[in-house]
Formats: sequence, structure tokens, C-alpha cells
Amino acid sequence: MMLEPSPIGAVQTKKFVMWLFIIADAATFGAILFGYGYLRVGSLNWTRPFAFSPSIINALVMTVVLLTSSLTMLIAVSAAQKGKKSDAVRWLGATILLGVVFAALHLREWASLMGEGWSLSANPMGGSTLVGATFFGITGLHLLHVISGVIAIGVITVGFNRGRWDASYVETTGLYWHFVDLVWMFVFPLVYLLNAHA
Amino acid sequence: MPTLKLYVGIWLGLIAIVGIETILAFSGLSSGLLLASLLLLAIVEAGIALRYFMHLKYEPPALAWTLIPAIVFALLMMNQVWPDARRLVSLHFP
Repeated sequence: MMLEPSPIGAVQTKKFVMWLFIIADAATFGAILFGYGYLRVGSLNWTRPFAFSPSIINALVMTVVLLTSSLTMLIAVSAAQKGKKSDAVRWLGATILLGVVFAALHLREWASLMGEGWSLSANPMGGSTLVGATFFGITGLHLLHVISGVIAIGVITVGFNRGRWDASYVETTGLYWHFVDLVWMFVFPLVYLLNAHA
Repeated sequence: MPTLKLYVGIWLGLIAIVGIETILAFSGLSSGLLLASLLLLAIVEAGIALRYFMHLKYEPPALAWTLIPAIVFALLMMNQVWPDARRLVSLHFP
């Protein structure tokens, strides 16, 4: 069978394609974060909704959970590449579990904020309604990526366990998952910490 | 390829950076200095994640040279919004 050579030397084509997706998605997140900055700089009555407890503590826990899921993903990829299938499946399962925990913490936080009156078009503190719009917009896009990632890792885990896909698929999915983590490294300080009040 | 020990070390380092960011946010810095500090730390975190978690350090250099300058250029170009954002403030109804 003739295999198409990768455009970047020894990099597999599917990995390269995932990288192209990641760069495009990074531009998307960059644009939405710049949009948030634009609206914030242009607003006279911006309000900071997050107290250290419980909001920032919850966001800190979410951050540690997501960082830990990147670590479990790295271990899963390493095990898959060494041919340790059961270990890889176990660590992929841990990654899925941490992704679900992250999403659950996020949704609980959203429910709490909505209970206080926050929405895409309402600010219970009386300031700009853009606070809620940008917060739910940015974190919603990120949460969508987390949920998509959990589903993708689940599908890859089943396929890898059945021998349908090899370790390179696990590695490519891992790239996506680390990117989701990387985006959160900007969302946490810019959306949470810069909206914290003493 | 990196070892588990290195991965755990990097994971702990990233958590430490998140801790520093949180301390800075409640340390009473001016908005501009806080934004600059948080952005710098986030870029350091992203660089570490790209090199070690996403394995760019172990890939052919051509991959990073193909991808990273493009996104850096795109993000730099987005900075042209700031003068207009500042102009928005003066356009508000009194």
C-alpha cells in the first residue's frame, strides 16, 4: 500500500492535521479572548463577580483537575506506545473521569451563578451585562471542548482496547486534550482572576 | 522521550505557577501590572505545555516553525483592537 508522505518530515499526517486544527482553534480562542478584552476596556461599569470563596477556590480545583487529566493522558500515551494496553486503557479512563469531574464542577458553578441572577444578558450587581455574556461565552466554548474531548477519548479508548486503532490515535487525541488544558491556562487568569474581588 | 518523573515535575511546576497567579491576583497589584504578570505566567505555562505535554520539543523543528509563527502573528495582529476599545469609552451616552 502506498502511504502519502507527511508534509513535515517524520511527523505523521494525522498528527500534523491535529496540529493544524489546534492552531486554527487557538486563533478562535485568541479572538474570543481579545473580544472579551475589547469589551472590557470599552466598558465603563465593569463589575468583578468572583469572591475568593467559593468562586476562585472552585476555579483552582477545576484547574488542578484539568492539569492532572493532562498528566494521566501523558501516562496513557506512554503506556500505549509501550504496548501496555490495559495500563493505557486504565489511564485513559482516569482522564475521562477527570474530564467529567471538571465539567461537573463547571456546570455546578454555572448553576450557582444563574441562581444569583447571572445570565448572558443580566448582571445582578447592576453593572455591564457584558460580564455575564463574556464569562458564559468563553467558559461555554471551553466546556464544549472539554465535553467533546471526553467523548473523543471514550471512542478512542474503546477502539484502542478492541485493537481497531493503534497508539498513534491515542497520541493524536492526547494532543487535543493538552490543547484544551493549554487554553484553560489563559481562561483561568484572564476570566477568573481578573474578575476577582477582595 | 521524557520520563514519568519529568512529567510529574512539570505537572507540579504548572500547579505552582497557578498558585503564584492566584496570590498575585489578591496582592493588590495595579490592574496593568497584574494583567502583564498573569499574561507572562500564562505564556510560560503554555510554552511548557507545548514543549513537554504536546511533545514539540521531541518533534522535528520544522513542525514548530510551521505552526507557532503563524498563530503568534495572528494573535499579534489582533492587538490593533485596543485603540478602538479605548475610543468606545468616550462614545458612551453621558
